[in-house]
Amino acid sequence: MDLHFELPTTGDGAASVWDVAIVGGGPAGATAAMYAARADLRVIVLDKGLTASALGITSRIANYPGVPEEISGAELLRRMREQAQRFGAVFVQDKVQAVDLESDPKLLFANGGTYEARAVIIATGSMARGQRVKGEEELLGRGVSYCATCDGAFFRDQDVAVAGNTDEAVEEALFLTRFARTVHFLSPTPRIHAPEPLLHELSSQPNVRLYLGAALREVIGGDHVTGVRVALRDGGEQVLPVNGAFIYLQGGRPATDFLGGQLPLNETGCVRVDAEYRTTIPGVYAVGDVLCNHVKQAVVAAAEGAIAAMAVEKALRGRKQLAVDWSK
Amino acid sequence: MTLLNESVRREVRQALAAMTEPVRIVLFTQQEGGALECGFCRETRQLVEEVVALSDKLRLEVHDLVADQALASQMGIDKIPAIALLRDERPQPRDFGVRLFGIPSGYEFGTFIQDLVLVSQARHDLSARTLEQLAALTGPVHIQVFVTPTCPYCPRAVLLAHRLAIASERVRADMVEATEFPHLANRYSVYGVPRTVINEVIHIEGAVPEAALMDELMQVNDPAAMKRLRAEWGL
Repeated sequence: MDLHFELPTTGDGAASVWDVAIVGGGPAGATAAMYAARADLRVIVLDKGLTASALGITSRIANYPGVPEEISGAELLRRMREQAQRFGAVFVQDKVQAVDLESDPKLLFANGGTYEARAVIIATGSMARGQRVKGEEELLGRGVSYCATCDGAFFRDQDVAVAGNTDEAVEEALFLTRFARTVHFLSPTPRIHAPEPLLHELSSQPNVRLYLGAALREVIGGDHVTGVRVALRDGGEQVLPVNGAFIYLQGGRPATDFLGGQLPLNETGCVRVDAEYRTTIPGVYAVGDVLCNHVKQAVVAAAEGAIAAMAVEKALRGRKQLAVDWSK
Repeated sequence: MTLLNESVRREVRQALAAMTEPVRIVLFTQQEGGALECGFCRETRQLVEEVVALSDKLRLEVHDLVADQALASQMGIDKIPAIALLRDERPQPRDFGVRLFGIPSGYEFGTFIQDLVLVSQARHDLSARTLEQLAALTGPVHIQVFVTPTCPYCPRAVLLAHRLAIASERVRADMVEATEFPHLANRYSVYGVPRTVINEVIHIEGAVPEAALMDELMQVNDPAAMKRLRAEWGL
């Protein structure tokens, strides 16, 4: 076991209250960050990774205004983030697990520490999972895991499966290669949405078996996991004998679990907002695909991010009207 | 070579400035080459000594598990390395039952430092509902939270258990580093962390919110439920 001793950080190494914390770094979050930072607010964006967003996994985008060439969604998003960073926004790769939106300052509990902010913009999109696969819930903690870095050590010299197609799934699988005898990587799509160097690292590991277009159907086991049933691309099915099933699949539901019921949701699980993207809790805003009646286009999400950021600026500075400093 | 670099020492010093009362760190370990298997006894002692040097409100007391068996048993220490955190009140230090078994490294280092501040301030920050439930406890409660150093969710589960111990005389709460005590991980079938084990038989997966944990914990007051759970675990 390698020994490390560090205290959790809150983004810039100091315990500090941010003006705005934005959860999610897709087009809505990145644009909100750009506008808020340009208005001289201290902005932090907490994001799971580039391919956690719908735009990040879009292979080509040709209808984003001002970008006539066909570029990948990940590249467009990278440019948006870079632009926001130029105005001083801080992006941190971290996963928010829970929040306290009523406290002052508001608290975001993430893997890397607790972040404090005067205002929060929720821009987590709608790629959360809906239904779990058969056996998943029953075997949670008995071989089913959502955290390889937490639980990898329990699977030394054993066979495990990783289901997912994002950079998060690839990184977790790479962590598992240190412990497991064999890592079966099950990507539900023919292509894994992760940067090329990461993919290369994964495919060059001697103890990794890649299955592209392989859908996890069931986790099998009694006291603990003994296998996974997988639907293969050719229409067949296979049961892989494994002791661990690490699941990083995505879905099409608004990502609101981390809110712990603090914001009222409608029957389809969406957050409700007003014309300035304010939720029912003062100082808490929501933008992008996490909303209802939202047209799922990057340009729309970006526009909503801009409006919310201006509304935050207005609220924090105690003004009555939205304002943009056009001269900068 | 020191375990803590200068920047971490600076952050820890800053965090420990929030301490109000002194804290006595009681470390159970063994000498080099001791009879027991202890993968991280030496490093844990070094770590604790380095932390103690960062605040004048910290005192260190070191014991040998075998030589000081009576004290160990009185304090509920049965494996090493073990850390007990006592609020150094007069005339007697106050033992809330806050324990860490295994080296607090990785994410658990932050837990250890936060524990020092919480014990010093005798602070628990629990809800009124939780305090009511704790007041209704009729017997002792032993919480063990299994963790690994690489688990970012684990500190929340450990800190909640430790805050419950601070709030209630009936509760003692252990952090247990699962990879250092594989016999315990096997005994409780721990394949994932954090796993909170209450009085041996109530098992909770993940870092659950305070209210959810308390609802599970309060089963200890229900003899029929506990009997059923004990039977399920073959106890």
